[in-house]
Amino acid sequence: MTERTTVTAPMPGVFYRRPDPDEPTFVEPGDAVESGEVIGLIGVMKNFHDITADEDGEVVEFFVENEQEVDAGDELAELEVS
Amino acid sequence: MTNSIQRQELSSPRYEYGGDDHVFVELSEEMSFDANFEAQAITQEIRERDLPGIIEVAPANASYLLHFDPGELHPDDLIEELKALREEIDITEYTWEARVIDFPVLYDDPWTHEVMMKFRDRHQDPDSTDLEYSARINGFDSVDEFIDAHSGAPQMVTMVGFVPGLPWTFQMVPREQQIEVPKYVQPRTETPGRAVGYGGAFTATYPVKGAGGYQLFGRTPVEVLDVDQELPDFQDSMVLPNPGDILNYRRIDREEYDAIREEVEAGTYEYNIGTIDFRPEEFFEDPQGYNERITEVLD
Amino acid sequence: MIEVLEPGLSTTVQDTGRYGHYHIGMPPSGAMDQYAHTVANYVVGNDEDAATLEMTYAGPDLKFQEDAVVAATGADMEPKRNGEPIPMWTAVQVEAGDVLSFEFATEGVRSYLSVAGGIDVPEVMESRSTYTLIGIGGHEGRDLEEGDELPVGSANGNATVGAAVDDGHVPDYANNDTISVVMGLCDYRLTDEGREEFLGTQWKISDEADRVGCRLTGPDIEGMFEEREQPFGAGPDPTNVVDLGYPVGSIQMAGQPIILMRDAVTGGGYATVGTVTSIDRDMLAQARTHNEITFEAVDVEEALEARASQDEQLELIRATFLE
Repeated sequence: MTERTTVTAPMPGVFYRRPDPDEPTFVEPGDAVESGEVIGLIGVMKNFHDITADEDGEVVEFFVENEQEVDAGDELAELEVS
Repeated sequence: MTNSIQRQELSSPRYEYGGDDHVFVELSEEMSFDANFEAQAITQEIRERDLPGIIEVAPANASYLLHFDPGELHPDDLIEELKALREEIDITEYTWEARVIDFPVLYDDPWTHEVMMKFRDRHQDPDSTDLEYSARINGFDSVDEFIDAHSGAPQMVTMVGFVPGLPWTFQMVPREQQIEVPKYVQPRTETPGRAVGYGGAFTATYPVKGAGGYQLFGRTPVEVLDVDQELPDFQDSMVLPNPGDILNYRRIDREEYDAIREEVEAGTYEYNIGTIDFRPEEFFEDPQGYNERITEVLD
Repeated sequence: MIEVLEPGLSTTVQDTGRYGHYHIGMPPSGAMDQYAHTVANYVVGNDEDAATLEMTYAGPDLKFQEDAVVAATGADMEPKRNGEPIPMWTAVQVEAGDVLSFEFATEGVRSYLSVAGGIDVPEVMESRSTYTLIGIGGHEGRDLEEGDELPVGSANGNATVGAAVDDGHVPDYANNDTISVVMGLCDYRLTDEGREEFLGTQWKISDEADRVGCRLTGPDIEGMFEEREQPFGAGPDPTNVVDLGYPVGSIQMAGQPIILMRDAVTGGGYATVGTVTSIDRDMLAQARTHNEITFEAVDVEEALEARASQDEQLELIRATFLE
């Protein structure tokens, strides 16, 4: 049985999956990630907060779209822990 | 063409509460020298009276704003005081020592031109430049004549604000000669620092780069804000213009622009500043003659 | 000295504000929630004008290089000393080498950290408040960054470690969705229906809302305005007026309503239709992004009474800690 972990938004704002509109996404489902790796950003008050993987593993899916509004506690992505 | 300033009756100033700690006084809904000089005279007097609890005294174009500590001063008492003050003040007798500042402008400069071309889709007339559009709607045959008019008579600093150091100036000519233009349909997200723009009946110089909605006419090589206070004229304050100063916009060429800019960047530039005891009554009677006297005080 | 290990989302040095320069376009800056800032100072024995750290949503990690008495107030960011939770609104001893860390605000937006003696950055125009637009005040005129070192002033010895603010004086940041406003300024520009709609709307706080302005989204505002022939100098848009001064807390109708906060522009050509009362500006500083707020029109006497009652409360707290 595999263990899964959910990454949630720590603050309200806008969720970004890319560092910049013209750049590729940080990660895609299926990608391996390390603990502490940036998988998205939350933009609020013209500042950006890094959303990171809290364990080593693989991205299963994102629950929110790029540039979607989020509130604190919203589920952002699911990881499979390796 | 008239050659005197028509006086405006300020019949019904509005005294408004700004929350529990501000009073806003609109002397007139429309712009006039009467409204501005009264705003300056009253705010000057309030400063001198040093009322307890007053924190900020800010004259504006045709209004003024006071911020106070409601623990020390009740807004209704303040408003009574302001109404009484208004009765006492006769702006034709009010005079002040005005600084006259030579203000070089490179009209139709390459930097503001580049920015304005990026934002044509936010403009009333995407097929003209801001200068072409402004010249046309103000009845000028050419941009050249329009620039001559804009730089042809000095302008009073009627308000400083928006951001630190931004002067709003109002040209010292009869109303029928005053230029009036709308702001952009949608503000630009970008304006170069030191851009000289126009909106409503006012010229403004942007102290730093940023968003903006004024029609762009040119760029000055000199600063209105010097945060590090490196230039000699900023020794006492990081902001150059003050309400009541007079700016004389002077058309310069690229060569002079570059030369002045070099001195500014080296921290050696000294502004050409003269002073005049400004007398509203004399100005109202003969603005053209009075403006000549104003520009004469510059070296 | 305090060393910044992690800066948090946006952490700045702030005090009661920079005053006396509004007429040259200088906004006051200073702590967005003046109540929380002031109480934080009283708890550690400071006067209200000592500088504190204002933290936003995600707090910093700070390493103290000297012993100090500190207090955290405002939004609860679950402060910890060397990993152990410490209480909010309470004077806490930290020792040289200790790390103070903050998490995320779950209610409210902004936390304040006071230090006995105050954050001793240089004053600019008689204030230590940070104003980032032109880069003055605070630490180098900007948000704190990793590796910054902040000097601490000398404490006056008034602090009592363990002393805490009574629960009754701790605001409830979960219930700040009704904001009192004194209508006025240029509200004559609104039609009766427009005014009703303005006051009847639940406005949503946009994600851009910051120290400059609390930008709101909701219905189209153009339709709330009275048609008129525009006065000379105002420009043709019905929401334009001859450029005038904006009170801090005033609501500027620029495409959307924007409540002008402490780093705002000092004036401009958009009609302002009212001013949020001084104590509700503090509440607004704690109103979270995407929350909905409603304006409640109050008259100036009600606003003055609310202010006087808060001033009394602050005086009571001051007396408890400083006398």
